[in-house]
Amino acid sequence: MMAMDRPLTHFALAVLVALLLPFFTPSGTLATEVLIFAIAAAGCNLLLGYTGLLSFGQGIFFGLGSYTLGLVLINTTLPLLPTLVLAMVAGCVVAIIIGALSIRRQGVYFVMLTLAFAQLFYFLAYTFSDITGGDNGLTGVPRRGIGPLTLNSSWSYYAFVAIIFLVSFAALQRIATSTFGRTLLAIRDNGERAQAIGFPIRIFKVAAFAVSGAVTGLAGALHALLIGIAPLSDIDYHTSESILVMTIIGGTGNLFGSVLGAAFYVIVSDTLSAIWPRWLLLLGALLVVLALYVQKGIWGLIESAARAVQGRSGGPNAVKADSAGSEP
Amino acid sequence: MIYLFQLMNGIGLGMLYFLLAVGLSVIFGLLHFVNFAHGAFYLLGAYLCYALLEYGIDFWGALALSAIIVAGIAALVEAGLLKRIYRMDHMYHIVATIGLALMIQEIVILIWGPIGSSVAPPKALSGAMMIGHFIYPEYRLFLIGFTAVLAVILWWILEGTRLGAVVRAGSESTDMISLLGYDINRINTAVFALGAGLAALAGALAAPIRGVDPFMGVEALAVAFVVVVIGGMGSYTGALIAGLIVGIVQSMMTTIWPAGASLAIYIAMVLVVLIMPRGLLGRA
Repeated sequence: MMAMDRPLTHFALAVLVALLLPFFTPSGTLATEVLIFAIAAAGCNLLLGYTGLLSFGQGIFFGLGSYTLGLVLINTTLPLLPTLVLAMVAGCVVAIIIGALSIRRQGVYFVMLTLAFAQLFYFLAYTFSDITGGDNGLTGVPRRGIGPLTLNSSWSYYAFVAIIFLVSFAALQRIATSTFGRTLLAIRDNGERAQAIGFPIRIFKVAAFAVSGAVTGLAGALHALLIGIAPLSDIDYHTSESILVMTIIGGTGNLFGSVLGAAFYVIVSDTLSAIWPRWLLLLGALLVVLALYVQKGIWGLIESAARAVQGRSGGPNAVKADSAGSEP
Repeated sequence: MIYLFQLMNGIGLGMLYFLLAVGLSVIFGLLHFVNFAHGAFYLLGAYLCYALLEYGIDFWGALALSAIIVAGIAALVEAGLLKRIYRMDHMYHIVATIGLALMIQEIVILIWGPIGSSVAPPKALSGAMMIGHFIYPEYRLFLIGFTAVLAVILWWILEGTRLGAVVRAGSESTDMISLLGYDINRINTAVFALGAGLAALAGALAAPIRGVDPFMGVEALAVAFVVVVIGGMGSYTGALIAGLIVGIVQSMMTTIWPAGASLAIYIAMVLVVLIMPRGLLGRA
């Protein structure tokens, strides 16, 4: 049980997922998609789980990452890695602006603002089709290699994304366990108190947005590189919604939970959508059940299972586990 | 003259946005509940109106029935499901109602298919009127008049009736009205059903103008949020003014820069948030 709380354990689990995913997915493309959305969901989790900010605008940063990568690779000869950095910068800068504007309102208003911003950017991308390709997206994004390494096969690209995923995951973990991350938790739990102690909570919230935007922009760029186009759908409402749903299904406040949430969502949606085009009906029902009964998501289920096992063996945490389980 | 027409179009559209947003706003005021399924009720209202018209029911019947059916469904959903999650964090409100919205949207696609349809305005209102040397569709005139009457009735319900008084008191303190002997559960259900019914009515009224398609709910939800952000949550007058602003801005832009019409309403929202973070009439 104690080991489950350690960052190193979570990182080891993330490595395990990256290694085992190829055996559980039918194609390299699907496996890559899981890791890409795991990065995006972890970025969303930093806002939702660690800072208490439910952002409906993650698709903005994801889409901007896609478009930045598409525009740069199509129009310039810049190598891949600097291009990815540019995509992160794009996500980061816009996240700072949107974050700073959205946190002027709190609670539900904040959520509504982020959703309205998501629509704003969708319509921006849709309206300025000279730049973004509008409905068709930016097509023909070349998958540039790194030096002598080509990423043309789906599994070599998977390996590349897996490395980026692990680096991002470790970086987010590092941020979450740092003093900065602890301060975010304090803001999440009681913003007024954190402010009274003297923390400039607005700056912290905007900083959380900056990190989240950069990471999500990176994920979006990797997605455009995966499918060879920067589609309009990367910046639409559904992308924002999916990223949020993955984060919540996985369990908030735990970065590895986001990996599980992304894996669950991407694999289940791929499987079900092949069987029944109206599978979103089932997803909707699942979300209702989740809200009612499984509020801590997949990670919460795993934790309760671990507690139950420990409780049976009479571990010292058995009593504590009971009281934690009865939280509203 | 074209601007006058666009102004009138904008007023009609704005009144629809008002109907849509006021339900969201009142539900939030009383229940402190964020309803992401609000757009789905609008969607359902529009499709029911379409289906009832196809079935041969006249326009008035279709309007009334679609609002009543959706209000009934909403009441069942509220009493059976949503009231159990009011006390939870907003995050779970959002998760549950996103789930609900997805279910409604997919059921609509299951029944009526993924491709939208156009809806003919009622025969009596399908003509056009001569205003000077210009013609203007009658349905749009009817829309302005009809929604204005609805707005007055709604205002009377909220300000002049006992239910309205209880709802307003409930927005201040639900515990107090429970202590005064009102059954808060029934009031919650009634208000939720009223809000959903208004959204459905907005959808049904919009159907002859914009047609129906399964994804109109998402679009409507975002617009309702913009209206609430601009007008201030829980405010009837705020919803009315903001609805009209959004409708008029969108219509005017259709003439000036058609591609940017939808964009303009979100830019308007950003401007309001920058200048007045609480919205035009929002409370602290």
